[in-house]
Amino acid sequence: MSAEPGEPIIRLEEINRIYDTGKVQVPALIDVNLDVANGEFLAIVGPSGSGKSTMMNILGCLDRPTSGLYILDGQPVDELDDDGLAFVRSRSIGFVFQSYNLLPRTSALDNVATPLMYQGVGRKERLRRAQAALERLGLGDRMHHEPSELSGGQQQRVGIARALVTEPALILADEPTGNLDSHSGAEVLDLFRDLHAIGRTIVLITHDVDVATAADRAVHLRDGQLQEAVPA
Amino acid sequence: MKVGDLIGLALSRLGTGKLRTALTMLGVIIGVASVVALVSVAQGATAGISNQLQSLGTNLLTVSPGFTRTGATRGAIGSATTLTVDDANALASLDGVAVTAPELTTSKLVIAGSQNETARIIGTTPGYLTVFAYQMWVGSFLNAASVDHKLRVAVIGATTADNLSLTDASIGSTIYIGGLPFELIGITQPKGGSTTTDDQVMIPLSTAHELFIGSNSVSAIGLSATSQDEISTVSAEITATLEQRHGITNGVDDFTIANQAQLLGTVSSVSDVLTLLLAGIASISLLVGGIGIMNIMLVSVRERTREIGIRKAIGARGRDILSQFLVEALALSLAGGLIGIGVGVLASFVIGSYAGWGFIFSPLTVVIAVGFSLIVGIVFGVWPASQAARLDPVVALRYE
Repeated sequence: MSAEPGEPIIRLEEINRIYDTGKVQVPALIDVNLDVANGEFLAIVGPSGSGKSTMMNILGCLDRPTSGLYILDGQPVDELDDDGLAFVRSRSIGFVFQSYNLLPRTSALDNVATPLMYQGVGRKERLRRAQAALERLGLGDRMHHEPSELSGGQQQRVGIARALVTEPALILADEPTGNLDSHSGAEVLDLFRDLHAIGRTIVLITHDVDVATAADRAVHLRDGQLQEAVPA
Repeated sequence: MKVGDLIGLALSRLGTGKLRTALTMLGVIIGVASVVALVSVAQGATAGISNQLQSLGTNLLTVSPGFTRTGATRGAIGSATTLTVDDANALASLDGVAVTAPELTTSKLVIAGSQNETARIIGTTPGYLTVFAYQMWVGSFLNAASVDHKLRVAVIGATTADNLSLTDASIGSTIYIGGLPFELIGITQPKGGSTTTDDQVMIPLSTAHELFIGSNSVSAIGLSATSQDEISTVSAEITATLEQRHGITNGVDDFTIANQAQLLGTVSSVSDVLTLLLAGIASISLLVGGIGIMNIMLVSVRERTREIGIRKAIGARGRDILSQFLVEALALSLAGGLIGIGVGVLASFVIGSYAGWGFIFSPLTVVIAVGFSLIVGIVFGVWPASQAARLDPVVALRYE
């Protein structure tokens, strides 16, 4: 099911997402076309209200487009049912959130191992892989700490370890530096660059043009429409 | 998701909020404990009453005379004097009758040394000991010779002996019944149950007729059937024999027959109702406990909306979330159920030993109680769990 080399890992064709509030229909995405190549590091930049969150939900298979075609890793996903979307999220997508979204009262190790649990991986194997992922991110000595015992930067690195542990086709980061001080934020962006260097596909969604410079390519969202050219 | 993972999740979750977990389980604990304890109490009480009934006599049938009628006024059962010693002898020869014991009951002042009491005097025959399941403590019971020769001998009950300060050393001494001297030849062992069965003086039937009641009548005839199964047959035989002897053709008998089986049947049907009633009351507390679980699970789903969103984002399907919450509810109710059984068994043990019928442990009750608490967990856990499973991940992730 994996995309061939050179094939886009994400293909969006004429994606529309319209919120139907009953009385008015609010278009959040209008005729969005986008290709993301395998191994690319793309930033999607836009101010609040531009449709960023909707873009993130559609790309992350948390929501379905009202119309249009979405092919992720060689598989059309725009018409999957809830279980089908859950399966795609489990196998193909790793999320990194602005507010980390770690499970509370759960150790870093168990947090990172949880996506593997939903894949049906046995406990021993998933703890081994979670430990390896945490060690790779320099958190080998924080494995048994709960999120409340970790700094923001450490929590975000646990979040990235959780996104990486399933070896997903796509890492989807939503304002990953938004809650961090500039030092920790820079560290996290360096991490993404390292991941990009070893061939990971990363889509980073942000309102911050400076953050977007970490990526190879940036596209801009404005009022639900995508503009390829980077304005000066 | 694997079952082991679900159980692990549920246990770690319940472990993080111990006070809340304990309070939630309390409802189920109380419910299950009261089901177990109340059913056990009802069964214990039934067994206790049955034992007392058994101690009244072995396969006992009692024939009493009918009632007298004075003009329009109907007298009490037994007020007539239609049963005679000859009736008793006739019944003794029936098939299926093991032993008979005609009784002639009166009341006299009994004096022993400086003590006295007005006691129930029973004129009877040697069969009395067997029919009414008495055992001798000291001395001997009335024998055939004492009845044949109208001897002035007396056997007294354990309570009477206490009241008159008579002991095993008093055997052979003289006591006075209605002013007439009798030789004390035996004291029976206490039967327990009602105290009146141990507060009586037994003398030969013939002696009672000669000294106290100048007729041939008896107050009642006790019979022991050869077996429990024979009781209804024997009962029919007695009716036929007595109707023939008394010349009754219209079916209006001048006697009544009571048997133990009827009493036992009445007691067990009463206690069945009692058991059902108590179990019903206890089930209500189990229901309330279940609602407690549902309440806490609903609060929990609300509180953990964001967690549910995260889990869905990282790959959990609806049914994974459903199972997670359902297993939590089940763990709560099952743990509560098991603790409840412990508490209930302990309570029924304490009540049983206090009330004196001992400890009755019914495995069936325990099985039913565990089953009940599992059902409570499923019934009251499914709705909150399905609420959790249906949450939209987009909404749940944004939930503060």
